[in-house]
Amino acid sequence: MFDPVILAQILWTGIATSTPYVLMTLGFALTLKVTGLWNFAHAGLMAIAFYTMFFVVDYLEWPAAAAVGLAVLTTGLASFLTERFGLQVLRDRGSGNLTFFIFTLILSEFVIYVITLLFGTEPQTLHKSILSPVTIVANIAISDWDMTGVATAGIAMLLLHAFLTWTREGQFMGAVADNARLAELYGISAQRAWRGVALLAALLIVAAMYLVGTHGGIVPNAPLELILTAVIATLLGGIGRIFAAAFAAVFLGLLQSFSILFIDSRWQNLLLYGVLFVTILIFPRGVRMPRLRLARLSR
Amino acid sequence: MEYLATIFVLIAIYVTLSASYDLVIGHGGLSSVAHPIFFAIGAYTAGLLAIHSTMPAVLNVLLGGVAAMVASILLAASALRVSGDYLLIASLGFQLGLLQLIKNLDFTGGPGGLSAIPGTVTGAARTPFFLAVTAVMAIGTVLLIRAIVKGPYGRAITAMRDEELAFTALGRRATSMKVVIFAIGCGIAGIAGGVYAYYFQYLSPDQFEVLQSAAILTMVVLGGMGTTWGPVIGAVLLQAIPQAITFLNLPPSVMAPMQGIIFTVLVLLFMFLRPSGIVGTRRQTL
Repeated sequence: MFDPVILAQILWTGIATSTPYVLMTLGFALTLKVTGLWNFAHAGLMAIAFYTMFFVVDYLEWPAAAAVGLAVLTTGLASFLTERFGLQVLRDRGSGNLTFFIFTLILSEFVIYVITLLFGTEPQTLHKSILSPVTIVANIAISDWDMTGVATAGIAMLLLHAFLTWTREGQFMGAVADNARLAELYGISAQRAWRGVALLAALLIVAAMYLVGTHGGIVPNAPLELILTAVIATLLGGIGRIFAAAFAAVFLGLLQSFSILFIDSRWQNLLLYGVLFVTILIFPRGVRMPRLRLARLSR
Repeated sequence: MEYLATIFVLIAIYVTLSASYDLVIGHGGLSSVAHPIFFAIGAYTAGLLAIHSTMPAVLNVLLGGVAAMVASILLAASALRVSGDYLLIASLGFQLGLLQLIKNLDFTGGPGGLSAIPGTVTGAARTPFFLAVTAVMAIGTVLLIRAIVKGPYGRAITAMRDEELAFTALGRRATSMKVVIFAIGCGIAGIAGGVYAYYFQYLSPDQFEVLQSAAILTMVVLGGMGTTWGPVIGAVLLQAIPQAITFLNLPPSVMAPMQGIIFTVLVLLFMFLRPSGIVGTRRQTL
């Protein structure tokens, strides 16, 4: 049971399977940081992203690249419209957080019902087969999907970090996240930042749903479950700490993977909700790792 | 006729649920979305007692309410330490976690649900009996909550909701009041669950998912949060209007999503065109 090769295999598989959650979490945590909203409309956007790709690949029989391109367009447009004609209206009205929660959840439900009507409730995948070629490296099976997932998540994190750190738009988003009113006094448009975040989140969601859709079957209401992992990871990482949330998503993936050594696989989801509950009660501001005291270490 | 009676029973159960939920969220200002899980706890408790014991149905239903109340106190005692968004997410986690438990335990019937719940009244008297019981339960709940919120305790609840800091500064204990409100609202949901179990004689965990949270929340919001009659009107409208298309004889694969679309479009329209709800005042605008 505790064979090092088996443990290494579980470690790798856990990291690889967590990559779609990393991407979803990046989008969700970024949105929460900049807009201050728990945007459950991301579940609806996930459904739009996946079923656009599915329609293009399965019905139109176009290549995957075209499917991803069209999904970026439809998901980006839906995200922008939600921000412009939904969230902005509620903000202008001074609505409370509960209203935003209801709006985003109901909007996701609406999208899911429409998609159920159009595509049915059968699980769908983006490829005819979800089996991916496997390479054995040091006795560990590494599939092409694993590599795609890890590379996509890694590149997305690097690009997002570069965008937020080195571009003016990214820095403006940081300023709006800190204090939207003060940022506006300095001539930064909060609305522009919020719309930018909506588009960035859409990009991350499309990447995540491509990975999910090439790894297993998706039913229309699956995104409502998927988004919960992003919520838990965001809480665990700490609100406003986007990259810590992404690592928390990896931790959740590993926790679920390693849990098969100790508990029946049917209890894996319960473990996830247990983590959510404990996190909120014990670490409402997220788990903060102690900073290394470099000065003391160097002595 | 049986179909119409079932719709009426459902409407009455949802009036009970939405009115009790309004006590928690509208009057108490507690952002919990876990109301369906207390409905489920009541339903499963009554259903399991009906199957495995010989106790009278009324007692089983009341014990369902007690079980929901105890569970709500457990959640409140821990989760009320946090508030606002955190409470909302904590309640969501509590609901989904318990549902996962129900889905995986053998004695609850697992994901297939709990079936063969014995009926209390059979034959021709069954439908009129449940119509009367659910109507009394719905009217009783609305009147009970009205009595609570219109009395001195209700004024204290409003003060606690609107100005918690000032409320505690006056020496009142906000947390214990929140626990009481939460327990009453959730206990009523548990009783409604018990009646539901006896009427339908079958329970599935899927009936108590997040979509159910959104549905009950929507009934409260659409009718008018923090009002006496708002949740009643919301429950009647949102249960009755989507049922109208059942007479079109559409296939089930079309019917269910169409009802969902009608439901969600109604919510979105009201949210933007009538943000205070149907009977809400401008002060209560979303």
